[in-house]
Amino acid sequence: MQAATLARRFGSAAFARRSALGWIAPALLALALVFPWLAGEFYVRLAIEALLLGAIALSVDILLGCAGLLSLGQAMYFGLSAYLTALCYLHVTQSFWLVAAIVALAVAAVAAVLGAVAIRAKGVYFALITFGAAEIAGKIVHNTRAIGGSDGLIGIPVPSIALPGFDIALRDNLTFYYVVLLAISLVFLGVTRILATPFGSVLAAIRDNASRVPYLGYNPFWYKFLAYLLAAEVAAVGGLFYPLLRGFVGPDLFGFEVSTQSVVMALVGGVGTLIGPLVGGVVITFLQSVLGSFTERHLLLLGVIFILFVRFLPGGLFGLLRRGPAP
Amino acid sequence: MTEILAYLHFVLLPQVIDGLIIGVALALVALGLTMIFGLLDVINLAHGEIYMLGGYAALTLIGWGGGWWSAIVLVPVIAGLAGWALEELGVRPLLPRHDRAVVTLLLTFGVSLVLRDLAQVIFGTETYSLPPPVSGVTFLAGIPVPLYRLVVLAVGLVAIVLTWWLVYRTRIGAVLRAAAADPEMTASFGIPIRLVYGATFFYGCALAGLAAVLLGPIYAVFPTMGHDFLVLAFAVVIVGGMGSIPGAVVAALLLAQVHGIASLWIPPVWAETLVYGVMLLVLIVRPAGLFSRLGDA
Repeated sequence: MQAATLARRFGSAAFARRSALGWIAPALLALALVFPWLAGEFYVRLAIEALLLGAIALSVDILLGCAGLLSLGQAMYFGLSAYLTALCYLHVTQSFWLVAAIVALAVAAVAAVLGAVAIRAKGVYFALITFGAAEIAGKIVHNTRAIGGSDGLIGIPVPSIALPGFDIALRDNLTFYYVVLLAISLVFLGVTRILATPFGSVLAAIRDNASRVPYLGYNPFWYKFLAYLLAAEVAAVGGLFYPLLRGFVGPDLFGFEVSTQSVVMALVGGVGTLIGPLVGGVVITFLQSVLGSFTERHLLLLGVIFILFVRFLPGGLFGLLRRGPAP
Repeated sequence: MTEILAYLHFVLLPQVIDGLIIGVALALVALGLTMIFGLLDVINLAHGEIYMLGGYAALTLIGWGGGWWSAIVLVPVIAGLAGWALEELGVRPLLPRHDRAVVTLLLTFGVSLVLRDLAQVIFGTETYSLPPPVSGVTFLAGIPVPLYRLVVLAVGLVAIVLTWWLVYRTRIGAVLRAAAADPEMTASFGIPIRLVYGATFFYGCALAGLAAVLLGPIYAVFPTMGHDFLVLAFAVVIVGGMGSIPGAVVAALLLAQVHGIASLWIPPVWAETLVYGVMLLVLIVRPAGLFSRLGDA
């Protein structure tokens, strides 16, 4: 407690945070590594889903926690990525790397166009534009028969990942779990590294006082724009694996439900902590599944949890550890 | 020439009349949303569920033998009280926070989940239809129009005009506009801001309840009715300008016409997409919407 108080007095909130959270990410990773020995196959598959949905929550946190932008449409990039992945495996190629490259480029292109528009809008209009764009994307997919319309796409083949010398078959549950864990860990590591650079500091400055940043010689637009691209790609990583887990994709992947659920995950874990949203993803996914198995009213309970967090624990689970004022 | 006239008369005109009726009901829901945003900076994601609550309250009242006319009087009061409770218990404690726009949005989203699921627990997932208070068909310029739709049009227009009169022609409205422009200054004049906020939620939600009773006999009452309608009402509020009262009415009528007329040539599902397309276009060209916000000159 004293260290935290000192750290805060000397104006280094980041230091206080790191000293409290530094051991958590490795501990969670260790737990995730042994998880398949502790739980059955059903829970391993659930954990894969949790990690993939956690990627959307992480992407929400990059925008909300680090740049102060609330996106209500991050599911759009998840859905876009999932559909492109599914279509590629069905009709174009079986190469994992080629599909990943196609998805990354397509998502970057869409995010560049929409980001340029959305970031010019201030405050709550950013939330509304992202919400509106995701709604339109979902409707278009829902209404286009050529890509399955409201039924979505089924029978997506599961590929192998080709590496020099050997192939990783994703058909095996355990292998798939470790591949997804590795992918999400790398994404998390990459994001924390990027945000620890001066780029991340400028973003934080924009979040805390957007009107002062231009006087320091930085153009907020480009920083927000790059954060938006980064967030879109992070959500797309989730979409890259999701069709392989489920074997099908549907227009609801673009939907408001997925977008808002990812905001809930970020909030429950702790906005601005980056690790929190991933933990929130796991907590919410498992909670939904466990509650769903003995009551049909899991939405109701989710709503109650959500209200309680907003009302009484705005810092999320990691806000408790940080013991500082909520961001 | 006569063919074109006949087309305009018998194909286009009925669609325009239908669009007008939907537009009026849509305007009622959008008015509540936009007033609450204009005054408190709060995007009420539970507004659709308040509308749904109105639908089920009407269903229950009519089931008890109250009749449609009792519902049109009582349901807005019930919906208004629900809105007032939402403000008092949920939104109020979050208002002092600097990120109030985000946290209240998240809170009202949680409330909407709870209400939607509660409706399923209590009433099930079936769709119900409210019996219309009047039956029969009348002819307007040779076009058959159900009599009930004229009732919807009349009641809706009265409510819209009443809202305009309240906001722009009464002392209460002057207080409301002052509070939207500068809450601190208004409070320093001795105006009880808390009461103004509570009353705005009450009135806005009462309008949603009214819309639910009006549309109940045309559409149906079911748990997700509010969610679907809210997304549309959002488009209206965005196009009209968040927090603008004339904007909500004009945009509701406009978008309902876009949807109705487009449905003549393209499938209705694509017409709906077109409405959101219009919304996105307005956001890109003029992010603040077509009209200025409540409290701004």
